[in-house]
Amino acid sequence: MNNRYKILVVEDEKNIRSFVKTILNANEYQVILSDSCQNGIMMFTSYIPDLVILDLGLPDKDGIEFIRYVRTSSATPIIVLSARSTEEDKVSALDAGANDYITKPFGTAELVARIRAALRSYRVTENAILPDGKFTLFDLCIDYNKRIVTVAGNEIKLTQTEYNIMSYLSQNTDKVLTYATIIKEIWGYDDVGSIKKLQVNMANIRKKLGSKPGETNYIINELGVGYRMRDKTNI
Amino acid sequence: MKNKKRLLADILFMLFILALDFILNLLLGFYFETQTLIPMIFVLGVFLISLKTQGYILGITSSLISVVLVNWAFTYPYYEIDLVTPECIVSAVAMLTVAVLTGTLTIKIKNTEKMRAEIEKESMRANLLRAVSHDLRTPLTTIYGSCSAVIENFNHLKKEEHIQLLNEIQEDSEWLIRMVENLLSVTRIDGQKVNIKKLPTVLDELIDTVLIKFKKRCPNQEIEVNIPDDFISIPMDVMLIEQVLINLLENAVYHAKGMTKLWLTVTVENNLAKFTVSDNGCGIDEEILPEIFTGYLDRKNTNIDSTRNNMGIGLSVCATIIRAHDSEIFAKNNKPCGAVFEFTLETEDNQ
Repeated sequence: MNNRYKILVVEDEKNIRSFVKTILNANEYQVILSDSCQNGIMMFTSYIPDLVILDLGLPDKDGIEFIRYVRTSSATPIIVLSARSTEEDKVSALDAGANDYITKPFGTAELVARIRAALRSYRVTENAILPDGKFTLFDLCIDYNKRIVTVAGNEIKLTQTEYNIMSYLSQNTDKVLTYATIIKEIWGYDDVGSIKKLQVNMANIRKKLGSKPGETNYIINELGVGYRMRDKTNI
Repeated sequence: MKNKKRLLADILFMLFILALDFILNLLLGFYFETQTLIPMIFVLGVFLISLKTQGYILGITSSLISVVLVNWAFTYPYYEIDLVTPECIVSAVAMLTVAVLTGTLTIKIKNTEKMRAEIEKESMRANLLRAVSHDLRTPLTTIYGSCSAVIENFNHLKKEEHIQLLNEIQEDSEWLIRMVENLLSVTRIDGQKVNIKKLPTVLDELIDTVLIKFKKRCPNQEIEVNIPDDFISIPMDVMLIEQVLINLLENAVYHAKGMTKLWLTVTVENNLAKFTVSDNGCGIDEEILPEIFTGYLDRKNTNIDSTRNNMGIGLSVCATIIRAHDSEIFAKNNKPCGAVFEFTLETEDNQ
């Protein structure tokens, strides 16, 4: 009973709160509810939840404030609920430190899958990495020691940059990495042509991995936001 | 940038009219002995300038220049400037009055035109709202009714009945979601082109996202995809274009009766990417073909209640989105059968 995960839901809409609570309870999570940013922060500090589900449009303050506050002291995963708005809102939430976002309206299955993924990657930061320094996803394998990527046992010839991107994405599976985040990690600086440079590299990676549009690929495109490497258990 | 160009054109226009006035007056001076025509011609010039240029400034400037010109070239002593004579001051006041009044009138007329356009847009929006509210009522009735049925008869209904009612609720909610997504797209464009934010988008990432989303909604429908292998970047509002493609694909699924194949093709030629969604279904009735993208708004009351017509609004949303991208969408019938929807977008210059 006591080792169930505690999830804090900060959402001002009563009905959404209620059905999210039902879903979470049914999936054996312990739920704490809050209806405003201020109250949410208080709940967060007193209950120390394992994960936060956060609505961005709160009556008292912008949800982003909540993310900033939490991130000053803790790495607790935060999943943002966003109404279908512009990509910019998602990007700014992710850049502020949110781990993931779900667009309203969302289905039960999607919500639960995202929660599982976020909790898992928090628990074991290098989640899919085997003891021998390898990452696997379907028939894709990344050997971090030898810096080699294989698909179904065949080596894929990647450039240095392409390998770095793959390696970075694979260490953050099921997390949306914004263009800016990836660019900063790979090149260390950000200039006007950076996104284009990243997109070209990604296109080359897709081609080399043999990804086809619409099929179950290793990397998911989050249009206008960034990229996400799939997780084995979350398809 | 545009304003600067406009200002330059206006200044050139003013100089042109003033020069014309001057030459005309010189010519008239040769033919007629009298000088009564001179101020008239200049007043006419000032009037034209105030009418055609934006704002007051050029009209006023031209009237002042005219006064100086009349004083310099056409009043005694010729080719000397003497601005303090009473005639000069009177004519200056007259010309200024003409300039200011014309300017005021022009601005008023422009405002009226703007208001009329605004009213037209408002009535379009009202029509759309009316049509949509009508269509929203049907699924809402199901949802509300089914929920009440479940709550009130919870103990009397069998498990299967519960499931069936809940399934219907889910189905209709999904329909509502799609409808609302379309409406949101339209409102995003509503303020003309202002809200469209074009970002360079990689073609195969777009197609990938569209296909994944489509598969979730219609898991049993196969699509044949043909896109170029090259890296193609197209500036667009991703979410909106995604919506267009999904709408076109879904439109085929729901309305192309007898369809066995559905194609999504993109070709690139001369910096133009051409998107084509085609099927081999029943095609489009030639009668409604010309107004297929506007039909929804014009359709007054033809059995709206009986059919769940997402198509009408979906397609007019497509047209609105594509128009906001400065392009056009076309529909035609395929040979031997089926329908074709096409639109083009400019690709990014690869310089």
